[in-house]
Amino acid sequence: MLRYLPAVVALVFCAVGPALADAPKESVEADASTRQVAITSSFTGTEILVFGAVENSVQPSPEAGTYDVIVVVEGIPAPVVVRMKSRVGGIWVNTQSMRFASVPSYYAIASTRPVDEVADRAVLDAHGIGFDHVRMVRTALSRTDATDDATLQAFKQALIRLKEQERVYVKSDFGVSFIGRSLFRATIALPPNVPVGPLTAHVYLFKEGKMLGEYSNRVMLQREGIERYIHEAAMSQPLIYGIVTVLLAAGSGLAAAFAFRKPA
Amino acid sequence: MTLYLPIAEMSVSVLVYLALGMSIGFLSGLFGVGGGFLLMPLLTFLGVPSAVAVATSASHVVASSVSGAITHYQRGNVDIKMGLVMLAGGLSGTYIGVGAVKILRQAGYFDFTVAIMYVVFLGIVGTIILVEGINASRRVKATGVVASRKSGQHNWLEGLPFKMRFPRSKLYMSVLPPIVIGMFIGCMSAIMGIGGGFVIIPAMIYLLRMPTGLVIGTSLFQIVFVAALATILHAVENKTVDIVLALILIAGGVVGAQFGTMVGEKLRGEHLRVLLGAVILLVAARMAFDLVMPPEDVFSLAAVAGGS
Repeated sequence: MLRYLPAVVALVFCAVGPALADAPKESVEADASTRQVAITSSFTGTEILVFGAVENSVQPSPEAGTYDVIVVVEGIPAPVVVRMKSRVGGIWVNTQSMRFASVPSYYAIASTRPVDEVADRAVLDAHGIGFDHVRMVRTALSRTDATDDATLQAFKQALIRLKEQERVYVKSDFGVSFIGRSLFRATIALPPNVPVGPLTAHVYLFKEGKMLGEYSNRVMLQREGIERYIHEAAMSQPLIYGIVTVLLAAGSGLAAAFAFRKPA
Repeated sequence: MTLYLPIAEMSVSVLVYLALGMSIGFLSGLFGVGGGFLLMPLLTFLGVPSAVAVATSASHVVASSVSGAITHYQRGNVDIKMGLVMLAGGLSGTYIGVGAVKILRQAGYFDFTVAIMYVVFLGIVGTIILVEGINASRRVKATGVVASRKSGQHNWLEGLPFKMRFPRSKLYMSVLPPIVIGMFIGCMSAIMGIGGGFVIIPAMIYLLRMPTGLVIGTSLFQIVFVAALATILHAVENKTVDIVLALILIAGGVVGAQFGTMVGEKLRGEHLRVLLGAVILLVAARMAFDLVMPPEDVFSLAAVAGGS
């Protein structure tokens, strides 16, 4: 990346230079349709629309493919343990584990074409674009006999695969579409089990493998109403919450016994 | 109709869980057991995280045991003194069990331990109940009367110190066996999310030699308190009690239990025991199968406790 820095700087200077005044530099502006997603008792997942426009677009038509746009929606990073079972004396037990210090709890990516065609590894790695390029830091608290790169990769692949199965990692290779010379849109699905917390939406604009612009925005995802009340009670007043649960359970048991009591 | 569960963090169909609660309630009314041993595996099967399933099952046990305990108390079938002695052990056992759950979850062995305990306990108890039920129905067929057990046998349990008089059960015995049994059941019930009736009842009959008429009432009496403590401790220590899920299951459960009791009164005791033994063995076999078969995916994910 650093190797190309002079070239990039030169390019920027060229762009503002008088010689190229008639072809101003492109940039991107974007937003999400919803800034706030409420998780209520009827929450069954939702979709957010990420849309934006390429400023100073030179694209002749929506289908021309002059620009590549990648939309990434990320949840707050959290530590995760990946465990591996193996056979011990005929039964399957967790024997190895690898702990990652911070892994996005939710990661949705949509692009105009597969990200590996859009830009090269170094750029994708630097911005954490794409499942294979998400930053995952392994911590010392892992329990595995092998420390080689192959094992690390196997655990990483498993982590991504499992997150995909849970539908919290979503990839849509052609999910971003241009609907005009400069206007583009992408829908991002939030599954019912989306981890609750703030989301960050990133929009990256690429042209011929070079990143021209980036735009970030926050989408709040929070519990509302009764869900919020119950969750807060369970987390901050666990003793009272537990006692209330027991009283409700005992009360319903007694109520049913009374209601169904045989006329003696 | 779907509902989002605040602690399990998943969206579920209310009808499915009401039906689940109802069927568990039906079986528990039919057999006179708490039904926790069926509820917890079925919940995990439906995708509820196992720690949430265990904690929430405990609250279900409270609901399904409390009405039985009250009924037996009113009929004078509860040996309060014996119940309290067992409870002393039971409460400390529960405390140990909930702590063990916390440690096992952090180490990644929780699911495995629960599965092993289910296979071992359900396997043993299911076999005993089944064999005994089959023998009993044969005896009834052959002679027409249910044979009564011999009493007055002596064993090493009677040599233990700290003897106490239990007038209601007409026993004079050491307090150690009931305390140890209570402790063991409490620990087990906290880890497995069950009331433990199917273990505690045989223990009270064969080890403590309590009069059979008092056994069910007394065990229910102590199960209510042990399950209540397990629920509260799980809520405090592991934050895994889902009150919404609990209420759906209980609502179905208490209704199902009434129908189960009605059907149960029409069936013969020995036949019920054979059925119960078969159901218990089925659950054990199902869990053993999962342990032995190569898993679909050898990898699994877990959030780090306290990490989010």
